[in-house]
Amino acid sequence: MTKEAPIRRHLIATAVAAIALAFPGSAAPQQLSPSAKWTKTYVVEWNEPAMYYGAKTGVTDPGTDCPNGTNPSPDWIQVLVDAGYTLEEAKWLRNPANPTRSPVHGQNQMAFRGKDRANVYVNPTSTPDPGLTPVSGTIAEGLNLDDDENTGFTSPTGEKGIDNNFYKALGCWKTYRGPHRLSSGALTFNDAMRDGAWTTVIVVAGEGADPMNDDHVKVGFYMSNDKMVKDGLGNIARDYTFRIAPNAKYEGILPARTSNGRIVSTVPADIMLRDPSYTWDLELLRARLNLEMKSDGSLTGYVGGYRPWEPVYRGWVNARGTVIEVLTWVQLPAVYYALRRYADYSPTGPGGEKTHISYALRVDALPAFVMAPDGTKEVATVESYKAIAPKEPPRPALPFQIVDGIVPDPTGKYQAGPHAVILPPRASSDARQ
Amino acid sequence: MNFPFNRRSFLRGMINGTAVCVALPVLNRFLNGSGTAYADGTKLPVRFGTYFWGLGLTDTPTGGTRWVPSKTGYGYEIMPELESLKPVKDKVSVFSGFRVIGDGRPNLVHWSGHASILSGVAPAAADRFDGPSFDSKVADAIGTATRFKVIDIDASASRQPVSYSTRTGTTFAMPETTPLVLYQRLFGSAFQDPNSDDWKPDPSIMLRQSVLSAVEDQRQALMAGVGKDDQVRLDQYFTSVREMENQLAMQLQKPEHCQACVVPTAPKDTPRSATVDAVRANTKALAKLLAMGLACNQTRVFNFVHTAGISETYIAGESKIYHQITHDEPIDATLGYQPETSRLAGLVMQAFGDFLIELDAVKEGAGTVLDNSLIMAFSDTGYAKIHSIENIPMFLAGRAGGRHKAGQHVHTTGESVTRVSLTAQQLVGVPVGEFGTGSMRTARPITEIMG
Repeated sequence: MTKEAPIRRHLIATAVAAIALAFPGSAAPQQLSPSAKWTKTYVVEWNEPAMYYGAKTGVTDPGTDCPNGTNPSPDWIQVLVDAGYTLEEAKWLRNPANPTRSPVHGQNQMAFRGKDRANVYVNPTSTPDPGLTPVSGTIAEGLNLDDDENTGFTSPTGEKGIDNNFYKALGCWKTYRGPHRLSSGALTFNDAMRDGAWTTVIVVAGEGADPMNDDHVKVGFYMSNDKMVKDGLGNIARDYTFRIAPNAKYEGILPARTSNGRIVSTVPADIMLRDPSYTWDLELLRARLNLEMKSDGSLTGYVGGYRPWEPVYRGWVNARGTVIEVLTWVQLPAVYYALRRYADYSPTGPGGEKTHISYALRVDALPAFVMAPDGTKEVATVESYKAIAPKEPPRPALPFQIVDGIVPDPTGKYQAGPHAVILPPRASSDARQ
Repeated sequence: MNFPFNRRSFLRGMINGTAVCVALPVLNRFLNGSGTAYADGTKLPVRFGTYFWGLGLTDTPTGGTRWVPSKTGYGYEIMPELESLKPVKDKVSVFSGFRVIGDGRPNLVHWSGHASILSGVAPAAADRFDGPSFDSKVADAIGTATRFKVIDIDASASRQPVSYSTRTGTTFAMPETTPLVLYQRLFGSAFQDPNSDDWKPDPSIMLRQSVLSAVEDQRQALMAGVGKDDQVRLDQYFTSVREMENQLAMQLQKPEHCQACVVPTAPKDTPRSATVDAVRANTKALAKLLAMGLACNQTRVFNFVHTAGISETYIAGESKIYHQITHDEPIDATLGYQPETSRLAGLVMQAFGDFLIELDAVKEGAGTVLDNSLIMAFSDTGYAKIHSIENIPMFLAGRAGGRHKAGQHVHTTGESVTRVSLTAQQLVGVPVGEFGTGSMRTARPITEIMG
């Protein structure tokens, strides 16, 4: 199928060129279909949280977003001492030679630093807010989700009212901070996606004659089981073919219009996308988008909305809290407190509990062929396939089990927990015998 | 004088009415004057080994490479993380730009890289390969005439012994992990000094061999009576039994004289530690024994793990381990790379330099054990911070008895790692024309380094 794609695309392009020659000055449709006047289809080759980077160089340097730079790595010895461990115990727990520490999985006892040595991953409020310095700049990427230009940030291009409190809360965290495509989080999850972990395709279909200016457009986000292909330079190749894989969970359809090639939402909608994160689920309430159809055929911009914030926290915890904290320079309870503090939306109304936080996903997509689920024809419309979606498959099993943010070591001689006896350092040599 | 025997001859006779034949050891009579080849001109067989270290080398998206030379071909420049290879540079070829092509299979972090290099196919699960590691093919081709078909070694002092050598894809070899244990394996009580003038067959070995042979009929009956899965398990078990038989058979023959073989003394047992310095010392000590094990013709194939894919090594006194540092250290804006990660990569590569120098220190004929060996060294990742499986660092070290035109840098843009794997197999004489599956299937060895 993929071998034929470039040829077919060439034929279509030739036909489009012929139409353009016959009607100079008019933008020719990319495809014609009986169901929509035009359809454009893409594969997402990169997506990451829209986190404006205010520094000029590096990935952690001070900038207008975070004047003190990225939040520094915690002093874990001090963190443990503050949690009630003795200095001797704290140093021992952080020593890779400690027999209770799995260098692969981290030090499980690190979880038990709440009140009465509660597991702070399960019960983050069992410890005082460790603090996570928020973004203090006024510029942010994203969307105006509440139609109020008096709230939120200003976009890099000067648009007022950008709502992105996810960025406000976490934008100075090392995981998310960095230039476009260079934060460690963006690199990690996009590398996985581009190597085949998942594929998202986008279908844009309009009813007007001019795709660049059409008041009646729909944009669909779908999953595909066909993997992206890299070219010889390691970039995602254009014009490959992807079949839509109906998915009961990950699908989003948004009504929109186009204006000078820019696709903007007309009516907010609730959608669920595949998140480039450990959370997987990117549920967006009152979702909107702002995407630009570029002259090179690619698509770039934002899709955003209000996402539930607690699953974001749980996603990091369930990725092995003890490891995540050390790798990403953060105390996870601080993430919990920051998300809770900046949550700005309640599905039950203005007076309800703020369970959601404004968010935007930066999306880069390449032109691709997108086929109907049965692979018999290219899609020509944006419609839901949830009704024919199979039961959601279980997530792939990890090579280890994660419980409450740690990897239990049931056969280990020493078990972490609130009542664990921390071995004194002088016992280490004996323990290794 | 008419001497009707050559190295392929068998001694034939009858025992209790049963025809028997006995293979001949490699006698000095069969060698040329310098000991570098058989008298008929055939080269002495080369040795083959894999050398694995975890966490790749530094080559960042911002262009801050610390290991890829800018010059290709002979005379490549020594990059900072390859400094330790300087003494043996002319015997080491560097391969950059090679990648794993998963054909849609996701990157299983710290696994897909070396699984693909060794098995030729991106694995479907993170605890197994989708095929045997190719070192087993090499062992079948060149490892049957020694006491041990293959020796597996793990210097990492990890919590669990580490080996990526597998015949089934699901079970992996159990490596030797300390110099003392390796010494006992190679030079312990069952070792027969090939240079001894007082050699005679060990009666206890003869007895053990007959015991094993006696169960042959029952083995066949057992195999016939079990299901397919059990047959696979039994076949693997009996393979090890057959290797044991071969090992015993070898010990019943007078071993060939080995000019370079000097039986080492037993090393002292050392404390187990995963610090960078301890693993380096362990690597050096194990390499010294291995080099002599090769020189004494105890094996011709080995697999050596310096550190696991998810390396557990660390700097003594530091709380973060190397693996964590690769992920959490930011790229220095001025340098364009992670300075601490790069420093650690350089330290890890020092062990590889030590390893090669130990093999090069054992003189053998006109060259060294390294000259008569081929070691394929590789890692699990390219840019470890993001678990990249692009540009995985790979090396071929040793001259493979003159077959490897060593000392070159070969660079490609995105070609399959299996090309290097295929090249290695062909250089040591494995009769294989292609290697790999799907997009990683290749019949194109890297001919510019093949003599």
